[in-house]
Amino acid sequence: MRLGTPRSTNARSLAQAGAAIALLAGVEVVLLVDGPGEPTWIVVLFPAVACAYLAAGVLAGLRRPHNRTGGLLVAGALAWLVASLGNVEPPALVVVGVVCATLPLAVVVHLLHGFPSGRLRGRFSRATVAAAYFVTLVLQAPLYLFAPSGLPGEPLMVADSPGLAEAGHWVQDVAGTLVMVATSVLLHRRLRAASPAQRRVLGPLAAYGIVAVVFVVLAAQLADRVLTGYQEERVVVQLALMAGVPLAFAAGVLRGGFARMRDVEELGAWLGADEGGRPTLSAALAETLGDRSLELVLWVPEAGGYVDFAGAPVTLPSGDVERPVVEIRRDGRRIGAIAYDATLIADRSLVEAAARMTAVALDHERLTVELIASRDQVRRSAARVVEAADDERRRIARDLHDGLQARLVVLAIGANGLATDRELPDAARARATGLRTGIEAVVDELRTLVQGVMPAALIERGLSAATEDLADRMPLPTEVDVDRAVSHAGAKLPPAIELAGYFVVAEALANAVKHAQAHELRIHLARPDGHLRIEVSDDGVGGAAAGAGTGMRGMADRIDVLGGRLTVTSPPGGGTRIVAELPCAS
Amino acid sequence: MRVVIGEDEALMRGGLTLVLEQAGFEIVGAAEDGDDLVRKALAHAPDLLVTDIRMPPSHTDEGLRAALEVRAARPDIAVLVLSQHLQRRYASELLEQRSAGIGYLLKQRVANVEAFVADVRRICAGGTVLDPEVVSTLLRRARRDDDPLHRLTPRQLEVLGLMAEGRSNAAIAERLTISEKAVVKHASHIYDELELPVSGDDHRRVLAVVRYLAV
Repeated sequence: MRLGTPRSTNARSLAQAGAAIALLAGVEVVLLVDGPGEPTWIVVLFPAVACAYLAAGVLAGLRRPHNRTGGLLVAGALAWLVASLGNVEPPALVVVGVVCATLPLAVVVHLLHGFPSGRLRGRFSRATVAAAYFVTLVLQAPLYLFAPSGLPGEPLMVADSPGLAEAGHWVQDVAGTLVMVATSVLLHRRLRAASPAQRRVLGPLAAYGIVAVVFVVLAAQLADRVLTGYQEERVVVQLALMAGVPLAFAAGVLRGGFARMRDVEELGAWLGADEGGRPTLSAALAETLGDRSLELVLWVPEAGGYVDFAGAPVTLPSGDVERPVVEIRRDGRRIGAIAYDATLIADRSLVEAAARMTAVALDHERLTVELIASRDQVRRSAARVVEAADDERRRIARDLHDGLQARLVVLAIGANGLATDRELPDAARARATGLRTGIEAVVDELRTLVQGVMPAALIERGLSAATEDLADRMPLPTEVDVDRAVSHAGAKLPPAIELAGYFVVAEALANAVKHAQAHELRIHLARPDGHLRIEVSDDGVGGAAAGAGTGMRGMADRIDVLGGRLTVTSPPGGGTRIVAELPCAS
Repeated sequence: MRVVIGEDEALMRGGLTLVLEQAGFEIVGAAEDGDDLVRKALAHAPDLLVTDIRMPPSHTDEGLRAALEVRAARPDIAVLVLSQHLQRRYASELLEQRSAGIGYLLKQRVANVEAFVADVRRICAGGTVLDPEVVSTLLRRARRDDDPLHRLTPRQLEVLGLMAEGRSNAAIAERLTISEKAVVKHASHIYDELELPVSGDDHRRVLAVVRYLAV
C-alpha cells in the first residue's frame, strides 16, 4: 500500500486543522455575542457560515485525501472567521476583520477555478484567482484608509477623504467585475470542452458560484444606496447564499459525477467474475471511474516502456495536470499505469484505489499479452527459419544448375571425344561411350534433384507455370484453372508465398494420386482480396485428415508460419478438397 | 553456317563453341544475357541462334524471351533453345510463331556430339526438333477417356512421337526396324484418328502433331 502513509498524514493534519478552526469559531462566537452593535443572532451567522465551510472541507478532505478542494474549503472557513472579526469588540481583531472583509469572495472564485481537483489549471486561471485575492485584499484598502471604519480612534484611516474612498471603491468594483467576467469566460470554455457527464456537475456549480458572488456584491451596493431599510434580510440572504457554496462544492467533489466508492467496490466484484463473460479490463475501469478516455497500459520491463493490450508501444503524458498518470504496482514491481482525465476524475485517490484492485488482474492480462507477443515472435522466427532455408534451397539449386551441370556436360563432351577418336582401340572407345552415357545419366539425376529442391518452372515463370508443369507430369488427368490475377505477367507473388503455394499443390496432388483412388484432379489458383487461394480437389474416396501424413503436416506448418490457413474437406466417398489461403499483399 | 550463342556459363559456352566449330559452324557472337543476345543476333543476322533459357540478370526465362523476340523480328533465323528442364509450355510458345527451324533440346544432348550436330543441321535446314523428353512427356500426359489419343495403338503413338521429334519417315523406319511403307501407313492412320489434314510438307506435319499435343 504505497499511498497509505501520505493518506493518513493528510487525514490527521486535516482533522487537527478542523479542530483548531472549530475552536476558533467557538471563541469568536463568544466574542461576537459580547460584541457591540448589531443583533446577536445575525452576527453569529458569520461563524455559522465558517462552520459550514469547515464541515464541508473536512468531509471532502477525509473522503478525497488527494483532492485539494477539501483543504480549500477549510481555508475558506478560516477566511470567514477572519472576515467576521469586524464585528467583535477587541480593536486589534477588528482591524484584521476590516482588512479581510471581502476575502471570502476571493476564496469562492478560487474554488470555482480549482474545481474539481482543487488545483488551478492554466496560467489564465491562476492569474484570475491571483487577481481575485488582489481585489479583495489590496483594492479593499482605500475603503478603510480614506473613510472611517467606526473603530475608536480610527487606527487604519490615514485621511478622511470621501472622494478617494469613493474612487477606490469604484476601482475595486471594476476590477472585481473583470475577475468575475474572466471567471465566467473560463468556466464557459471548460463547460464547452466538458463531456455531458462533467457538464451535469460543473454547470450548476459554476452558475451557483458566480451568481452567489455577484449577488453578494450587488446586494451590498444596492443596500448602501437603495434598500437601506432591509439590512437584516439582505445579510441573511447573503449569508445563506455563501453558506451554500461550500456545501455545493463538497457535494460536487464527493459525487464527482465521476466516481463513487461503491463503484470501486463493484470493480472488485468484476475482477472476481468469470473470465468468459467479462469485458476488457480497461473498459471495465473506464466504466467504473466514469472516464471513457481512461487508458490502461502495461509495463514491459524488457522494452523499458508501456504497451497497450495489443502489444503496441504507448507513450504516456508526463507531468500533465489535465492528464495525470497513476502507476500500478504489484509486490513492488511496476506492472502498468492508468492515465486519466483530471477534469473527469477529480480524485486521484480513487484511481489509486482502482490501480491497487486491478493489479492482480492486470498482471494476469500482462502475462496473456506477453504470451501472444511471444507466439507472434515464435511465428516470426519460424518464418525467418523457413525463409533462410528457402534461400539456401535457391542457392543450392542455382549452384547445381549453373555450375555442376555445365561441368558434367563438358565432361561428357570430352568422353564423347574419346569415343569418336579413331586412333583409340575399339575397347577404349566403347568404354568412353559408356562413360558418356553414365555422365548423361548423372545429369538426369541431377535434374530430378534440382527439380525437387527448387523447381525450374517456379524460378523461371512463377507459380502458375510450375503448377501447369506439375499437372503435365501427373498420371491422372489434371485440370488446371488459373485466374488471371495469378497468371498475368505483373502478378509476381512473394517468393515465400510462391514456394509454399507450390509445395501445397505438389503435396496435395501426390496425396490424391497415392490415396484418393481418384479419376480426375483439379487445381484452382485464385487471388481473392489480399490472399492467394489454392484449391486442389479430386473425385476420389475421401476420408483424408488434415494432420495425417508428414507431407500434409509439413504443408500445414509452412502455411501456418506464413499466417495462412489450410482446410481439408474430405467426406467419405465425397472426394477430397484441400484449400490453402495465404496472405499476400497485392 | 553462322551461329550466335547465348549462354552465361563460361564452361558450357566453351563446350558448345568447340562442338559447333569442330562441326564447321562459325561462331560470330556470344552473349551472356538476354538483351545482349537480342542485340548480337539482330546485328549479326546469323543462320542459327543457340541459347540457354535461364540467363542474367533475373535468371528466369530471358533466354527464351530473347529467342522469341529475335524470331518475331527475323523469322529466317533458326532457333535452338537448350535447357536443363523441359516444359510443354515453352515448346508451344516456340512453335506458335512458325515451326520452321525450331529446336528445343535438353542441354546434355550436346554431349552426344554426332546426334546433336545432326539435329542442329536439321534445324538450320528448316526442320523442327523436339527433345524426346518433351515428346514423351506430351505423350505420357494423362488424358481424359474421350481423348482421341486413346484411340491410337502403342506403335502408332511411337510413330507420332518420332514424328514430333522431327524424324523423317526413313529415320522412323530405321529406328523402329519397320519398312518406310509401314511408317507411311501408320502416319495416315494417325492423321485419320486425330482428324489432321494430310500434307506432304514434312515440318508442317510435325507442327500439326505438336500443336495437337501441346494444347
